[in-house]
Amino acid sequence: MNPATAILFTGGVLGAGVYIVSVLDRLLAGTAAGNREGTAALLLDPFRSVALLMSQRRTVTERPDREAWALAPALLAGLAAVAFTAIPLTPGLAIADVPVGIVLFGAALVQVMVAVFLHGWSSNSIFPLIGGYRFAALALSVGIPFSLVLITTAIPAESLSVGVIISSQAELWNVLRQPLGLPIYLLTALGFAFWGPFQHPDAADLAGGSQTETSGTALLAWRTARAALLVSAAAMGSAAFLGGPLGPWLPGWAWSILKTVALLAVMIWFGHRTARPRMENVVKFGWLVLLPLALVDVFVSGALTL
Amino acid sequence: MSGGWPTDVLFWAFSAMAVISAILVFVTDSMVRAAYWLMASFVAVGAILVTLNAQFLGLILILMMAGEMTIMAIFMVMFMMNPAGLNPMLMVHQHRTAILSGVGSFLALATVGLFAEFPDRPAAIVGPAIVPLGQELLGTSMLVFESAGVALLAVMIGAIALVSHRGRYGDAEQGSEEPPLEVETSQ
Repeated sequence: MNPATAILFTGGVLGAGVYIVSVLDRLLAGTAAGNREGTAALLLDPFRSVALLMSQRRTVTERPDREAWALAPALLAGLAAVAFTAIPLTPGLAIADVPVGIVLFGAALVQVMVAVFLHGWSSNSIFPLIGGYRFAALALSVGIPFSLVLITTAIPAESLSVGVIISSQAELWNVLRQPLGLPIYLLTALGFAFWGPFQHPDAADLAGGSQTETSGTALLAWRTARAALLVSAAAMGSAAFLGGPLGPWLPGWAWSILKTVALLAVMIWFGHRTARPRMENVVKFGWLVLLPLALVDVFVSGALTL
Repeated sequence: MSGGWPTDVLFWAFSAMAVISAILVFVTDSMVRAAYWLMASFVAVGAILVTLNAQFLGLILILMMAGEMTIMAIFMVMFMMNPAGLNPMLMVHQHRTAILSGVGSFLALATVGLFAEFPDRPAAIVGPAIVPLGQELLGTSMLVFESAGVALLAVMIGAIALVSHRGRYGDAEQGSEEPPLEVETSQ
């Protein structure tokens, strides 16, 4: 794929994904609260939010780090896009199905820590700063189980290439072969996208956390990038655990999209149905529950493959 | 990535980025900026490794550095008692010693570079290099390395089990109220 097509393709698919996340978020929030909006309102609401944010004034704080503040949303969006390029929607529809694709995805996701910390730190304001610190604690607690269950999918494939990991699931999807993998992956992916029960870095108890002082187009960019991150995480979940494009009747890309949207719906539904726990309980949960379970997943999958 | 002028251009661009951001580490006046300029330098080195066809090493370097540098930035901010890390502060100390040791080590390395005899006969590539490289590096000590890896993993799990133990004042969620002094009562 030539560079221009690749950029358009990534931007287009992620843009569509962000729209789907936005609609699903409103739909499932309404369902959880018991007052569902009409379909037309539901489909138009994302555009209304965009228009509102586009017309807002930018907040200015005292002596911020302007460059880092302006570039943090761009970094987050860029990382979501880089992570997405590692995932082939079908064998022919891959932007960077490199031999170490799963490491590329992991490297992009870990750099999210930099984007969120810089976003919180750079506005020179107390609540955003605490939001940045919270993300460091959150990402370190869920990061190792996240990497472990993701890298475990490479064991039966005997390759770090996402394409080979997908084709290794032709007989049996990883969701059945490694039953611990997908639940841990989805929980920790919610953590990396600081969504739902793991929204601590941008939570309401910090008046918006890392985005407290952000408004207007910068806030639009930040929220878009965050949703794009969730889309990339769901797409990788569908490729690594649900066999990505594998499936009967429909073409491969359709299966990829269906599975990704299904995982997005599960994650967003879970986010609206789960209360946000306290930060120290999240850290404990990550280190004492998720990490041992992820290690069990690694050992069992390794033993089964031998 | 392989050959061709685009790879050369990328190689030189990332090299320039590595050097410039490494210099900026010492020019900036904030600990957080210094930490992330250092990370930018490491990311550029990782990208150089990718252009040299060592994708795994390059990407692992980029992967490791994000967490390391964030932790380093937070710890520096904590130890310097500069809560935001945005307050201007000098990033260099002991000017004379630093300049002397910098010039000295540059001269030493340059001498090595100029006068050392480097092998200039590239080995012929026969088939995939990974298996011979692994044999060369580990040879018969594979079992030792594997055992060391498992031992390290056990140490990590043990460390987590130790620190997750209740602290002096109970669990973190129970607040940090000091327990009352216990007076020994003899009966």
